[in-house]
Amino acid sequence: MSYPQAKQLGRASNCEQDASCTSHAAAIGLPAVTLADAAKRCRWIAVDLGARDFALCLASADSSRLTPCFDSDYPSTMSAARLLGGGIGEHLMRHARQSTAPCWWADDADTAQAFSALAWTSRIEPLARSGRGIAFPVYTDRGQVGLFIFAGPELSPDPQSLHDLHGRCFALFDAVARINATQSREMPSMSRREIECLKLTSRGYTSEEIAKLLKLSVHTANQYLTQTTQKLNAVNRMHAVAKALRLGLID
Amino acid sequence: MIALAARNEQTTVAARLASRSDLTAFFMNLTDEIGADGYMLVAIAQDQERDNLQIIASNWIYDAIQLAGHALIAGLAQGPFASAPGGRPQSLIASQAPGVLGGEEARLLDILGHAEIFALRLHVGRQRLFVLFSAAEAGRIDPTVMPRTQLECCYALSQAPSVLAAATLQDPLSDRERECLFWVSEGKTTDEVALILGVSANTVNSYITHAIQKLSASNRAMAIATAIRSGII
Repeated sequence: MSYPQAKQLGRASNCEQDASCTSHAAAIGLPAVTLADAAKRCRWIAVDLGARDFALCLASADSSRLTPCFDSDYPSTMSAARLLGGGIGEHLMRHARQSTAPCWWADDADTAQAFSALAWTSRIEPLARSGRGIAFPVYTDRGQVGLFIFAGPELSPDPQSLHDLHGRCFALFDAVARINATQSREMPSMSRREIECLKLTSRGYTSEEIAKLLKLSVHTANQYLTQTTQKLNAVNRMHAVAKALRLGLID
Repeated sequence: MIALAARNEQTTVAARLASRSDLTAFFMNLTDEIGADGYMLVAIAQDQERDNLQIIASNWIYDAIQLAGHALIAGLAQGPFASAPGGRPQSLIASQAPGVLGGEEARLLDILGHAEIFALRLHVGRQRLFVLFSAAEAGRIDPTVMPRTQLECCYALSQAPSVLAAATLQDPLSDRERECLFWVSEGKTTDEVALILGVSANTVNSYITHAIQKLSASNRAMAIATAIRSGII
């Protein structure tokens, strides 16, 4: 799809839903939202759910830990720390690795009764009493994993709009991942050749094969790869490939 | 529209998908509800030269799969029209997309009864899958129900990890192999990984060699790339 076509599409579709607009804006190359914007958008989702607190947490690269990205106390991350207490963080991380379905927790039987009417969702049992909450796992194409957490005594998700809210979380996460990617990309931009070499390396080609394919000398191919390694601030080629994939420089 | 109304009434607590036939039943129902004729659920693994397509479930006729070919199907699933969850799915109408499809390919899809196609990207836990819904006539599928359908597919498939694992051989690595590969992807050398994990360098090398074989990669860099792409590390 060319840029003018995409722009047309963006204009044609009536942007009522703010979150899907964001993904549209990002898709056609307009500047992504800032983190403050993202926190604000998340607050609107929280309002629709009747939640008092919310947080977006990002999974570490080996998906063992959750780190807060922003929450209802933006710019501090106090409530995220509170939400992840009581062993909920570990539960959520384990859940998000396997399942995209939302999961919830509740202390009292009435709430649990009401929440169990939500199709496809599952219940987690925190170690400590932690009120009621619901978490939506989100993912990007580049393999980042995150969790939107909503909690509060008034939380009352509507079974009909759950898909819709989850969709908005996905779109928002995509925007946030883009902000993070542009922020961590302070290094000088890569040349086309460097990206090409890196891409071929990630597909299993050796320097000799790359040299043959791109009609370069082996030294030049190696030189390109050394440059990418330096630019990405990586210690070796394997590290550079991993970093480039996670940053979305190659796919 | 009738299908949509029926769908809204149905706020049932969805059943668990325990077997392959449950999976098929789920997709047949869904296909019917949204007014589509065909569905195809695929996983795509990237190889040195091309995309390896793995069809997990589908009601396309055998001929359609053979004629269209894996490359074309993989192209449709990953193409610019495929939308991620939270996006606005756009349909690909075979006869009106000369830029995306060649004339012959468009004609082929038309003949095979896939005139209009919706391609949706799915995230099932850390695993990425793609689903195609198609109708014989353009305009039969209601685009406004697609975002909901997309998440419904993600949720349903999340309930069927054993069925999916059997179909895609996802995450074939042992914990130790995955751990080694992760540290290598963080730029650690064999000796450093050995120190981190408290085993000998030879053991680390053998873990990594196994991982490379299991991922059918040709070297460490490719094994890491494959593992990251499929969400293993």
